[in-house]
Amino acid sequence: MVSKVLVANRGEIACRILRACSEAGLESVAIYAENDAASLFVELADESVMLHGDTIAETYLDQNQILMIAGETGADAIHPGFGFLSERADFARAVTAAGIQWVGPSANAIEKMGDKMTARITMRDAGVPVIPGEEIESTDEEEALMAIQQASTRVGYPLLLKASSGGGGKGMRAVEHPEELLDAARSARREALAAFGDGRVYLERLLTGSKHVEIQVLADRHGRTIHLGERECSVQRRHQKVFEEAPCATMTEEIRAAMGKAAVAAAMAVNYEGAGTVEFLLAPNGEFFFLEMNTRIQVEHPVTELVTGVDIVREQLRIAAGEPMSCGELHIRGHAIEVRLYAEDASNNFLPAIGPLAVFIPPEGPGIRLDTGVRQGDEVTPNYDPMLAKLIVWAPSREEALQRMRRSLEEFVVLGTTTNLRFLRELCDVPDVVEGTTDTTMIDRLWPDGWSPSVPVHIEDAALMAAAVGESAGLHRLRSTPSSRSDDPSGPASPFATLNRRYP
Amino acid sequence: MHHQFNSPDGPVDVTVAKQGDDWILGEHKAVLESDGRIRIHLANGVSGYATVAKVGDNWWVHFQGHTFNLERIEPGATQGGNDGGLTAPMPGKVLDVLVEEGQSVESGQTLMVLEAMKMEHRILASATGTITDVYFSAGDQVQQGSVLLAMSEEED
Repeated sequence: MVSKVLVANRGEIACRILRACSEAGLESVAIYAENDAASLFVELADESVMLHGDTIAETYLDQNQILMIAGETGADAIHPGFGFLSERADFARAVTAAGIQWVGPSANAIEKMGDKMTARITMRDAGVPVIPGEEIESTDEEEALMAIQQASTRVGYPLLLKASSGGGGKGMRAVEHPEELLDAARSARREALAAFGDGRVYLERLLTGSKHVEIQVLADRHGRTIHLGERECSVQRRHQKVFEEAPCATMTEEIRAAMGKAAVAAAMAVNYEGAGTVEFLLAPNGEFFFLEMNTRIQVEHPVTELVTGVDIVREQLRIAAGEPMSCGELHIRGHAIEVRLYAEDASNNFLPAIGPLAVFIPPEGPGIRLDTGVRQGDEVTPNYDPMLAKLIVWAPSREEALQRMRRSLEEFVVLGTTTNLRFLRELCDVPDVVEGTTDTTMIDRLWPDGWSPSVPVHIEDAALMAAAVGESAGLHRLRSTPSSRSDDPSGPASPFATLNRRYP
Repeated sequence: MHHQFNSPDGPVDVTVAKQGDDWILGEHKAVLESDGRIRIHLANGVSGYATVAKVGDNWWVHFQGHTFNLERIEPGATQGGNDGGLTAPMPGKVLDVLVEEGQSVESGQTLMVLEAMKMEHRILASATGTITDVYFSAGDQVQQGSVLLAMSEEED
């Protein structure tokens, strides 16, 4: 039984889970750091408790504090979302030991899959193909560097260094030439150590021209382990996904069946429970290799939800409560595309940006879903990941989904903070995207010297004119923007203010 | 009314005039709507609504899927030149300083490594020259725009 869920996360995914709880009739608890006190997710929960501490380690990663809040609020389940503590086996274990239901797989499964090196070995043993590469077990800096250098001659160039505890592109480096290896290895180890407390890295051959295709799996305690088809997430910048879709444009029934079978085998090999994702690289010849398994809900889960009709977060809650999953046979209907709205300057090496969301007007209309963690008036700070929201569209065909995405991105207005909106819009016109022949190196290949927007002169004229009219008309003095929010124009509240209500 | 804005290609002068309810810029026309949006009619027949907001000195404009961030240059303000200062592109922490004062560097050489939002960012020399000052050391927190190092560019 689950009746009250504590969501150990923030931002967009916390909102997604809190809304699912509300729909399922479950009570919910949000936890938040002081600098998140005004964030959207805090108000979507039935109860919100502030975490003490300043850094992420002292707040969203503080296991003891979170368990204490769970105890105090009477939460009987914890949903970790993604990132933060979602793939921390020790936390899953501590939650279970406290008599609280963990919304996710067992600590054991997280451990086996979470350590990417162990996962490679487990999969190899289960007969699932893995990318040619070598694991480096040493934790000592000098020993590890020496082992990496030796392994590199066997793996061959170009190669990829990956943090064993990695994810989200952190602690990952592509190495083209032997002379770049040591610098890249030191840097990857340092980043991994800072982000995950584990500097171990492994080597994989860099397979160019491949697609990143992943299979969503669900497993319950009633003996069912199923897959919900694939997502393609090849379009990545700095190894972070920006454009995701379902189904994969070049997928065949045969490959889907084979990949789905491998994914289900991977899940069953670790007695998986709940929702998870098995990632593969799909080579142009139809060969595929296991990349890793993410033992949590994923950022891009909505595209699968839109084409399968399955509410994955709701199924997670159902499975955690010990009920059988509710989904029937797999039916893929139409096409869904997701883009990630990042506060970043796509024209300057995708550097994160900060600022107020002075205007935030999402697109509307048929087939559009916005999963956001922010709203107009919020401040984008450097404290957390720069992903603000996800825009997802569904349409009967891939072509129509792209058309809908183009229209949606043109309607989307975000002012006050630099975002990647225009980059995403131009992405929809790239021939590889239109044809569905994207691969993981596409962005670097298309824009080796960085992307910059192509702006028609008449559009720039219009913008300059709008700014000049705004300034001339004193528009900024007529409308309140977040930066002037502190000057309250309404004056002190009257002590005699009353609520007048007329009854017929 | 005359205004000057900084665009990526340099300062741009814009003069708009008011005629009745219309604002005029050459053949272009604009009308301020009651909801704060600006209806634009361009000379080439293109028209649409611009959404605008001013944050600090900057006008943010959205028009037909494009977003602009136009810094308004206050009348009388002088343009600050680039004196070769290398600034932090974002708030973060200095992870590593790879050069010292007096050291010669080549264009593109890594001078400093910053960490922000859990990612590493390298500060590169924009030209060949000599490092004249290093203002931060490893472990220091830096604000966006903080000058990290100074260098004198080599004269050819």
